[in-house]
Amino acid sequence: MHGHDPHFYESIQGFLGSYYLVLSIMNAVAALYLWRRLGRWLEAALLVVLFGGGFVVLSGIAYGGGTRVLGLPQSFKDFVNANTGPVIYTLGTTAVLVIFFVFRRFFTKPAVAWVSLNLALLFMGLSMTDPNFSLIVTKPDNVPIVGLIFLLGFFTWLATYKAVLNDDRLAQGLPPLEKEDSEKVLVWPDLVYTELICMIALTALLLVWAIGLKAPLEAPASSVKTPNPSKAPWYFLGLQEMLVYYDPWMAGVVLPSLVLVGLMAIPFLDFNKKGNGYYTIAERPFGYIIFQLGFLELWITLIILGTFLRGPNWNFFGPYEYWDPHKVLALNNKDLSQFFWVDLLDSGLPKAPSDSGTLVQLGYILKRECVGFVGLAVYFVLLPPILAMTVFRKFFARMGFIRYMLMSNLLLFMAALPLKMVLRWVFNLKYIVHIDEYFLNF
Amino acid sequence: MAEKKKLSVAEILAAARKADSGGATAASESPATSPADVAPAEPAEVSAEAAVESTPAETPAPTAPKPATTGTPGKRPSVADILAAARQKQAPGAAAPAAKPAAAKPAAKPPGDKPANPAAKPAAGEAAPRGSGVKDTASILAAARGGNKPGPISKAEAAALTKPAAPARTTEKTKLAVPPMPAKPQYAATKPGEKKAVETEERRGFLGAFFGAFMGSFLGLGFSSLAATNALWGLGTARFMFPNVLIEPPSTFKVGPPTDFPPGAVSEKFKAQFGVWVVNGEYNGQQQLYAIRTVCTHLGCTPNWLEGEQKFKCPCHGSGFYKDGVNFEGPAPRPLERYAIRLADDGQLEIDKSKKFQEELGQWRDPSCFVVA
Repeated sequence: MHGHDPHFYESIQGFLGSYYLVLSIMNAVAALYLWRRLGRWLEAALLVVLFGGGFVVLSGIAYGGGTRVLGLPQSFKDFVNANTGPVIYTLGTTAVLVIFFVFRRFFTKPAVAWVSLNLALLFMGLSMTDPNFSLIVTKPDNVPIVGLIFLLGFFTWLATYKAVLNDDRLAQGLPPLEKEDSEKVLVWPDLVYTELICMIALTALLLVWAIGLKAPLEAPASSVKTPNPSKAPWYFLGLQEMLVYYDPWMAGVVLPSLVLVGLMAIPFLDFNKKGNGYYTIAERPFGYIIFQLGFLELWITLIILGTFLRGPNWNFFGPYEYWDPHKVLALNNKDLSQFFWVDLLDSGLPKAPSDSGTLVQLGYILKRECVGFVGLAVYFVLLPPILAMTVFRKFFARMGFIRYMLMSNLLLFMAALPLKMVLRWVFNLKYIVHIDEYFLNF
Repeated sequence: MAEKKKLSVAEILAAARKADSGGATAASESPATSPADVAPAEPAEVSAEAAVESTPAETPAPTAPKPATTGTPGKRPSVADILAAARQKQAPGAAAPAAKPAAAKPAAKPPGDKPANPAAKPAAGEAAPRGSGVKDTASILAAARGGNKPGPISKAEAAALTKPAAPARTTEKTKLAVPPMPAKPQYAATKPGEKKAVETEERRGFLGAFFGAFMGSFLGLGFSSLAATNALWGLGTARFMFPNVLIEPPSTFKVGPPTDFPPGAVSEKFKAQFGVWVVNGEYNGQQQLYAIRTVCTHLGCTPNWLEGEQKFKCPCHGSGFYKDGVNFEGPAPRPLERYAIRLADDGQLEIDKSKKFQEELGQWRDPSCFVVA
């Protein structure tokens, strides 16, 4: 909370006032729709009174110069800052996603979803009065990402909502909604008009964006001065987070290639003929869960982590925390070979005599890393058959040997990222196999 | 007979049906391919008797009674009809329907576009099964494949039509350049024993055609100049890689006397210009002066020296290094690299950036990478 603009609260009041005003208008429009189109006047009235009215009041307070009041209590912010770390963040997002998934029938109800959206926007508005939070969120680079988070939430809700509806219909023996609504429309004028309107609206949005948000230009590039923190484009921040846990060739080349190859392999690995052309979860739970795990958990949450929670020196910062470049975290880490030879056996790392030949040195390297190699062999070679005999028994029977091995190996590579993250956080493990003589680390 | 495109059975049958209904006129309009025209074009394949045999198949086409289709010209014959008609063709007199695909080919093309050759090919193809005396379904289909598909054609098909059907055995390329040879009389037709001589001639002709097409045409000219330009460009790029003057700091430079670097100090003075930290620190229990390269061993960012924390910290992925350059946190797999350093004759420290020393290879024991303080 130091080094900030003393006029911060005055500078934010205009934005907050219009923010809340827009929210109340949004609720009023929703209420109007409920009343006139759906005839549900009771809910409409509730919406207007609760959210429309509430946001108007908040807007008035903000315009009136009371932004200081509209914040979250300092104790709450301190609590959040103290308790968010990579572990809590990752486990928390996973837990939230699991809860959303398990209780999707409840959360996808339009009323619940609308209230959640309002609460999320309210929470965001309250957080905006924190100088540190506001500084990060209103960075020109990050504003579109905030928008994208809400957009992603909307589309995920929409898909899940339709899937829940379809699952209910399928359970009753009815065809999915998409099959009923298979009436053909004309390209001209139906589609072309829609496209034209979208095009114009998007162009207008881009114009407003370009004028409203300054391009984040920085000082001239210098080969010896790296910006701190140095961040990749937002869509690569998941990869950058992955690079914290893996060697560059692994996290920068092998794993991204496997992501692409794996996505391309899905049609060849998938034996479930259902769910083609309509939303469903119940008919293909495995595919749904694995995809959402890979996309929401291993890609989106990592992007959010990299964008908003990684600060100078790539340290982790809470959402309301000052980005102190001198924050010190105990992050000392060790390789598996050190754990085994030094800590467990209490002997030094096996080291070849300095005048030995290449083969002898290779032998010593193999001896040094034997635990890691055994671990990797168990993971990638032994685990697929074990899984085939236990969890994936049905999959193995339906897929055949080659397809099953491909699928299980891709799955294991995918799981390797969160596993490595957990190992780093819990045991401060750096690399499982660490052959820096040949730039080979895993 | 070379297969240019694969037709499905359905397509073949459709084509055969069309040829049957429209082929009567097509055959009468087609330029009468004389046996003399057909035979020399395929000296290796078409024996004289086969060529003779193929002619009656074409000439009586307009008048030959068609077993299934003459009564109702517009009606499509069934598959059985087509096959029956094709089998009937074994008798040379009643061979009309199966010859249609062959005759239809020149008709479908603009006149003057090498009328002799394409007609010869299907005829030759048909000659072979007829010679064997058996006409099974497969050979009928094969014959129909060789024929033309009437009606609208795709681009690929059009390309296949204009291309020679059997490039290995014909001299089409030469024919582009020279007028067609006069028909050889019967007694001069090549015998199987003389095959070799013919082949050499064809090979020579092929080379001639090749160079004719690629050196004498505008296409050839264009590609040749493109290749030449590219070659020049490549040479220029190669030259660019070895400039006359290198505008960069020398790889060997002096940083001042050792007294400029008190024990425990990390000098950042040479980071911007040379990419080097000069450190007076302890390594393996020995106080040394050494030069550390300012490149992170993880992904090559430039770390920062944090005086308060006494460590090098990379802003990209959070790798941390002790003062001696050994990695201890974050993903960096190995220590920072050292440059060669020595005490010059004038008492100054001299750093040589052309030599690197890596700890994990045991190179830091080399006395040329430190100066004992």
